[in-house]
Amino acid sequence: MTKKIKIFSLLLLVVMVMAACSDNNASSDSDSDSDSGGNSKDANQLLKIGNDQEPAGLDPHKVPAHSSIRIYEKVYDSLLTFDENMELQPELAKEWEQPDDTTYIFTLREGVTFHNGDKMTAEDVKYSYERILDEETASIAKSYFDKVESIEVMSPTKIKFNLSETYAPFLSYVASTNAAIVSKKVVEENGDLMQVAVGTGPFKFEEWKPDNYVELSKFEDYYKEGQPKLDGIRYITMKDESARLAAIRTGEVHLTTLSSQSIPLAEKNEDLEVKGYQSTEYSYVGFNVDKEPFNNKKVRQAISLAVNRQEVKDIVWKGDAILSGPIPESMGKWAIDVSDQELYQQDIEKAKKLLAEAGYEDGFETVISTASTYPDMVDTAQLLQQQFEQIGIKADIKQLEWGQYIDTWKSGDHEMLVGRNSSGSDPDRSISFFFSTDGSANVWGFSNDKIDSLSEKGRTTTDTAKRREIYNEAQKKLIETSPNLFLVSPKKFFIVRNNVENYTPSANEPENFNETIIKQ
Amino acid sequence: MIAYTIRRLLMLIPVLFGISIFIFLIMKMIPGDVVSTMLGTEATDESRSQLEKQFGLNLPIYQQYYNWISGVLVGDFGVSLRTGKPVLGDILNRFTLTLELTLLSAFLSWIIAIPLGIIAAIKRNTSTDFGVRIISLLGVSVPNFALATLLLLILSVFFSYYPPSSYVSLVEDPVKNLQMMILPSIVLGTAMAGAVMRMTRSTVLEVLRQDFIRTIRAKGASERVVIFNHALKNAMIPILTIIGMQIGVLLGGTVIIEQIFSLPGLGQMVLTAINQRDYPVVQGAVLFIAFVFVMINLIVDLLYSYLDPRITYK
Repeated sequence: MTKKIKIFSLLLLVVMVMAACSDNNASSDSDSDSDSGGNSKDANQLLKIGNDQEPAGLDPHKVPAHSSIRIYEKVYDSLLTFDENMELQPELAKEWEQPDDTTYIFTLREGVTFHNGDKMTAEDVKYSYERILDEETASIAKSYFDKVESIEVMSPTKIKFNLSETYAPFLSYVASTNAAIVSKKVVEENGDLMQVAVGTGPFKFEEWKPDNYVELSKFEDYYKEGQPKLDGIRYITMKDESARLAAIRTGEVHLTTLSSQSIPLAEKNEDLEVKGYQSTEYSYVGFNVDKEPFNNKKVRQAISLAVNRQEVKDIVWKGDAILSGPIPESMGKWAIDVSDQELYQQDIEKAKKLLAEAGYEDGFETVISTASTYPDMVDTAQLLQQQFEQIGIKADIKQLEWGQYIDTWKSGDHEMLVGRNSSGSDPDRSISFFFSTDGSANVWGFSNDKIDSLSEKGRTTTDTAKRREIYNEAQKKLIETSPNLFLVSPKKFFIVRNNVENYTPSANEPENFNETIIKQ
Repeated sequence: MIAYTIRRLLMLIPVLFGISIFIFLIMKMIPGDVVSTMLGTEATDESRSQLEKQFGLNLPIYQQYYNWISGVLVGDFGVSLRTGKPVLGDILNRFTLTLELTLLSAFLSWIIAIPLGIIAAIKRNTSTDFGVRIISLLGVSVPNFALATLLLLILSVFFSYYPPSSYVSLVEDPVKNLQMMILPSIVLGTAMAGAVMRMTRSTVLEVLRQDFIRTIRAKGASERVVIFNHALKNAMIPILTIIGMQIGVLLGGTVIIEQIFSLPGLGQMVLTAINQRDYPVVQGAVLFIAFVFVMINLIVDLLYSYLDPRITYK
């Protein structure tokens, strides 16, 4: 009896070990052949990406989540796009002209088709913008195009936008991923675009298995000859970082993201390459300027002087970040050099003096709210907590789950908030969206006439050089009035298997796989 | 027996009704709603109110509950606010994975735990017994997420192995499906095995000490007959209780393991839905899990009378 049990246990163990250690390559190959629906002709050119979050829907007009954008931006194109210097470039529109301050005429590229085979025409462009502007859609891009008064189709390849007033950010917003051109027919057939995606981009949407993967395949009729080189991309949801690390190590995925803490582990592996790029995000401390003591500018300035931004960079981001103002450096010509700003130099004595002048010589107690979902935000809050102690400010940290954080952020029910902002693609967003009195994301209760008038001027000035001066002034004013303390703009990283070639991430398009190939 | 089963089934109604109210209110009480989590910092007042209207969140709370529960009563669990897909179909889809994972883990744990538990009981206070007890203690005390992470780490670093990550169902491709399921099953099964092993050992020991076992032995029955026909069968009731409870827990509690191994099961579904505040999905899934849990308990209770004919239900 005992002998039998022993033999059985041994057999079981052998079977388990065999199953666990069976040849991974064989399984990967069979997997590509069997379940990609026969779309991948050469299964080896299927790029597998470990996605840290499940996408939250695929509608480019509605969903701002990064986990969704990285997928739908491959499926859709906009009229314009940005190059790596954040300069506008043609995309679906091959050229554009501006006969007067409030009129824009776009000439569309000819011979562009949607993934369902339909021709892309000016009617589709008109429909896409009308869909964004329609209240029913609840599009996140609606506010970008509030100044659009009417859209006229002049010919199948020419379309005119009439604006109600001069609006300088218009073209930048046209280049936004959220202003993607969608097919009228597809929207009408499906009701919405949360589950389907039919665009003109380099990759076609194939399948979404919730909480598992989204698969895209090469669009053979993509208007750029010879692109893309890959046969498909599969975004596999892997929320657990250790799983992503294990998967990239073994080649189960070709590309993924890791937190800065895990980057050194990937750097040690010779099969992996860490590719970084400067993001368009910056971390910040936001004050509720309606509440005491933060309604006092001197208090905010004192806190700015107490902050050691270099430490934030070195400790939270392991050195992979740069100092940032309200417009991060990746925005190219729009950003100012903040390193010599007086309020960016840590000076405890001066900070204490300012606090005393404001009537808080003994400091005060406060609460820093932040999102527990993002370790970097928590780390930043903890570091700042220590730095604030030097000037007598005792801060408690309140870690909030993401939904709760957004609620707190929006309701203004906070004292200090540590977070990260994305600057968008136009300085108008960086300044007026967050800081003008009626800005949609001005949750700080901040109101400053100078900022309001500069925002207005920035929107109505089309001359780039003059616009730059306006935003330079606005940035300096924001740093001086400190409704937020702008900290650092982090680098972002992709961990890539070194058989993935021709891929370089950049701020304008972190994931451009049009030329990418997987070397066997 | 039949009357008892019917009575138990009828009792399900108030239980599920209570759970439905409870989960509905809990979801409403947690801060942050679906619109906030969806639009994040991009939200304008306009887009917020438009979405609230579309999702029916502008209605009074009793009206929202009524709309949902009246649908549930006729089998319509509503549609996901995120994906627009019918909730019930999604739940049943995901449930097949979770059920497979649960049964596989349970099976693995039984074939390890019950024989080892019996061996430990027979060889009480020998080195074999100590060995088994240490193994079972490890099984119970190592958290399964730690075991899962360790397993992935060891396999990826030393064997360059990672299980296939794109899920296929058992019907589509049994071999690949099993390759995906074996590691999570081992992890879940290990924890379960620890508890079952300990319970088997102690109850078998207890039964072996009883008078009737001595009588059977005195009658000249072989040790195999003593253990399997008499001792194990009598020891089965507490073991079955713990197995039933664990299966129930596994069905709703495989969240972390599903997440680590990227398996699209019911646990992942609920977790994603809670994070995204997808109310109909969370409510539907919790109600479903509660139903399954109660049914498993019922089955376990009915099995008692099969194992021990002295137990009857009236």
